[in-house]
Amino acid sequence: MVNTFYGRIMFEKIVTIKNQLGLHARPAALLVKTAERFKSTIFLIRDDLEVNAKSIMGVMMLAAEMGSQFTIRAEGEDEKGAVEAVVSVIEDKFYEE
Amino acid sequence: MGEITVETFFKQNRRRLALELVAGQGGMDRKFTSAEIHRPGLALTGFVELYTFDRVQLLGNTEMLYLAELPEKKRRETLGMIFQFDLPCIIVTGNNPIPGGLTELADQQAIPLFKPRFATTKFTHLFSLYLDDIFAPRLTLHGSLVDVYGVGLLFTGRSSIGKSELALDLVERGHHLVADDVVIISRRSQGILMGKGNDILRHHLEIRGVGIVDVEKVFGVRAIRLQKRVQVEVELVDWDENMDYERTGIDDKVVSILDVEIPKVTIPIYPGKNITVIAEIIALNYLLRVSGHHPAKEFNKKLLELIKKRRRQEGVSFSE
Repeated sequence: MVNTFYGRIMFEKIVTIKNQLGLHARPAALLVKTAERFKSTIFLIRDDLEVNAKSIMGVMMLAAEMGSQFTIRAEGEDEKGAVEAVVSVIEDKFYEE
Repeated sequence: MGEITVETFFKQNRRRLALELVAGQGGMDRKFTSAEIHRPGLALTGFVELYTFDRVQLLGNTEMLYLAELPEKKRRETLGMIFQFDLPCIIVTGNNPIPGGLTELADQQAIPLFKPRFATTKFTHLFSLYLDDIFAPRLTLHGSLVDVYGVGLLFTGRSSIGKSELALDLVERGHHLVADDVVIISRRSQGILMGKGNDILRHHLEIRGVGIVDVEKVFGVRAIRLQKRVQVEVELVDWDENMDYERTGIDDKVVSILDVEIPKVTIPIYPGKNITVIAEIIALNYLLRVSGHHPAKEFNKKLLELIKKRRRQEGVSFSE
């Protein structure tokens, strides 16, 4: 969905963590590497916590467990592709169980 | 801004404030959302027009003496004035005995009633410190916070520009890491910005190509700090020849974080540039300014004097 935040246009989607172990180090690294392929600024937002999707420490800090939900928001020239790519890596359970 | 349950408040302050839960256990899930404390003196007399009942209610010596002097029946009526509201909790300070009716009402309405060991003034002071911290405006920033010569430097800039490497380099030189990657800043009273890290990350940082580094384990407890006042923002930017960078430092640039203005320095970087030394200079310059020196302005003053002197010596020969 397209949203505006402080007048800026951006793209965001809500995802649910589907792999058993949640967002631990390996999946976090995969997520960050996916995010880094894009120029847009990408954020993961959980409750009042907003972290940069290109920072592994930030992503791990979410300590997101299986079933937890958060928003992926991107802002920039390739924002749509960025959100879709991050969403798909999460939906694919980071290629683990 | 947030809210806190009476339960959490009790758990976190039970020992610090020597709190005793006297009555009203049923209302421990009540919440309060204000950092203010209210003494319901006027409300007890029946004036409830502007009664801020949603704040923590404090009954000190004055209120307790007033209640103690009332006859039993009148006292219940008086207490009823405040108990008709949805109070978060009531605190009775000092050595005041709890008058008949108060505990019963607290139990009945499920409004927790606490008795700390401290006198009113001392309690109010300690409690305010806690409330200020809980309700302080907060912000999470992407950056690193390092204590350099006692000055809290907040490094910001795009992802992978080298903030963590800089933090590590500074730690190696004896400075202290407060937080890397995620810095939680809260505004304390009198415009002080306090920064700390996230509890899960706890002084771990990521270095590209190496992975996760535990700074506390590698460098020891001397290398870290749990929190530090944020005093200068240092923004790292990619070198861009079309950009205008500060050359004299005469005009101070500031940035506003949570409505508090702090000095901001923008440092262009390129491979091989020693930013660590620059960071130390920024901290030392800040210390000089705090103690009343402004290197750039003082240098310029000397320069202006010299120019004036030369002009006088040469006479005003050149056209004005």
